Amino acid sequence: MTLNQSVTLEPHKSGFPWKKVIPYILIAPTVIYYIIFWIRPVLTSIIQSFTPEIGTGFTVENYSRIFNDPVFWQAVVNTGIFVIISVTLEFVVAFGLALIINKKFKGSSLLLAIALIPMALPPVAVGAMWSSGFATYGWLNSLLMSMGLIGEGEKILFLAGSDFQSLMLIIIIDAWQVIPFMMTILLAGLQGIPKESIEAGYVFGGTRFKVLRKITMPMLKPSIQTALILRIISAIQVWLIIVLIFGFRRIPVLLEEVVFFQEQVQNEYKLALAYSVIVALVVSVVAVFYLKVSGAFKGDEEQ
Amino acid sequence: MATLKLKNLSKRYGKTVWGAKDINLEVNDKEFIVLLGPSGCGKTTTMRMIAGLEEVTQGIIYIDEKDVTFLPPRKRDISMVFQSYAVWPHLTVSDNIAFPLRLKNLKSAEIEKRVKEVSSLTKIEEYLERFPRQLSGGQRQRVALARALVVQPKVFLMDEPLSNLDAKLRVKMRTEMKAIHKKTQATTVFVTHDQAEAMSMADRIVIMKDGSIVQEGSTDDVYFDCEDMFVAGFIGTPPTNFLSMELGEKNGKLLLVNSAFSFEPIGENYEILKNYSGKQVIMGVRPESMQVFKEKKPESVFSREVLVTEPQGSHQIVAIELDDQIVKIVAPPFPKVNPGEIVHIGFEHDRIMFFNPETEKRIRKA
Repeated sequence: MTLNQSVTLEPHKSGFPWKKVIPYILIAPTVIYYIIFWIRPVLTSIIQSFTPEIGTGFTVENYSRIFNDPVFWQAVVNTGIFVIISVTLEFVVAFGLALIINKKFKGSSLLLAIALIPMALPPVAVGAMWSSGFATYGWLNSLLMSMGLIGEGEKILFLAGSDFQSLMLIIIIDAWQVIPFMMTILLAGLQGIPKESIEAGYVFGGTRFKVLRKITMPMLKPSIQTALILRIISAIQVWLIIVLIFGFRRIPVLLEEVVFFQEQVQNEYKLALAYSVIVALVVSVVAVFYLKVSGAFKGDEEQ
Repeated sequence: MATLKLKNLSKRYGKTVWGAKDINLEVNDKEFIVLLGPSGCGKTTTMRMIAGLEEVTQGIIYIDEKDVTFLPPRKRDISMVFQSYAVWPHLTVSDNIAFPLRLKNLKSAEIEKRVKEVSSLTKIEEYLERFPRQLSGGQRQRVALARALVVQPKVFLMDEPLSNLDAKLRVKMRTEMKAIHKKTQATTVFVTHDQAEAMSMADRIVIMKDGSIVQEGSTDDVYFDCEDMFVAGFIGTPPTNFLSMELGEKNGKLLLVNSAFSFEPIGENYEILKNYSGKQVIMGVRPESMQVFKEKKPESVFSREVLVTEPQGSHQIVAIELDDQIVKIVAPPFPKVNPGEIVHIGFEHDRIMFFNPETEKRIRKA
């Protein structure tokens, strides 16, 4: 046999197309898990929310009761205010802190460690801590008194303010806990920006503000998006801290109503389900809307 | 265009580590100056101080006779090409280039005109609407260059701009950058650790070591007239051969002696060495300042067996062993020399440099 002899190359044949099937086999457990533990309960809740509390059959009674309840609208407004103010406040403070800690001055890592403490606390502990703090005979008033800022008869009634003031109080407590979380995401993003990119901004005529606005922030956009979307979603779902400090139905918010109807009231299970569906819908709509507006989807097309 | 003057410029890190110490340098208008040295010699620190990206510990920086030591980078009228290019990934090529002009609030027609000019100079006109991630390393490099050129600065700073390119592209960009400099006539400070780059581009080379300037001068100055053993060993491939010699005297004549051979210093060398009788000196000879003969000739000084040869096409490198030390000689490509062959070796006497073994400084005529 000479080397020049031509050889017909036949495609390698095998009985079963394993190459095509294996990916589906590999992904199957996840899909099955997803269907059983995610899609099925979600669908069930949606369907159940359209049935009466007792008996069967289709009804929109649950939804019409919710939409006619003034507390629901109060909850929508409260949640809206909470989301807008708390996310804005938390982002601004967290971004500022991230910029400061990113400077790597002496003791910046110590500051980072201290700043992260609130993140490690569970919400229940935070609620307990601050509700004891804001009580009339709580530690905050004692502290202010011992510092001589207020007198014996001037104890501040933190928890007795107007609804709006109470909401602000909640926002501050929530910010106290959430800022470290946002700061961590932003700080990680900042550390991923090459130093020379920022320096180039200064060399080519940028003031501190211009460089921040035109270079640092656009380059940080993926981190900002992540931080904001996670935060917006969890802000829509706030309830535990409010309940721990003020109890149910003092400052109603959306998710608090779900828990209220599920746990505090007898025989309102279907109503609670309808509420859950509404909250889920609100979260999805807001999230998609935000991602659309911020251009997160567009990013992929440019690649 | 302008001049740049550094006066006793120093940078200290922490309490004791000096990144740069007492740098004194004057860069003339339109001059292309290269800071050259091994890594950690302070060349980049010096450049970053000029740019205003590094705080100055001591000393003054003048640009066009104006003290800019404490001004922020944007007020110094400089521009810079970074080692990593530092083009902004979220802006298109044309926005990258236009960025410095927009910050100066120039009219958009003027901006467009200048972007067009520099992009044709750097040959990136076709890519203006692309994003940096859609460009190759070489193209990004050109964008960085265009952005630096567009501001028409007084001083142009380049921090190892070619070191991230592959070898072939690097040589090509070298020529192009030199041509661009010829056109723009910008006063330029260029930092590199690559001596070939430095020698081919510089009007003047400044060699740095341990935070200080060791020698400055033209390519020929730093190559043929080294200030000390560091420069002689750093510049040139293969580097200068250093031979330990003792100065003896025989029949009233000065004689350079080592274990293998001896010869009489003649001409200028005699003048240089006449006061060093009985002392040790180090003789520095460039590989191409030594000659290899197949037959014994009057100008050959000693004979040796060839250890290895390295043919290079245009020349051959002949290596011999002398006092447990490899000495390399650059010889013409023909006649071919073979390993094991006994060759006769001579020196170009007026090219020999002598150094003090203690200070490692050059010994010059008293």
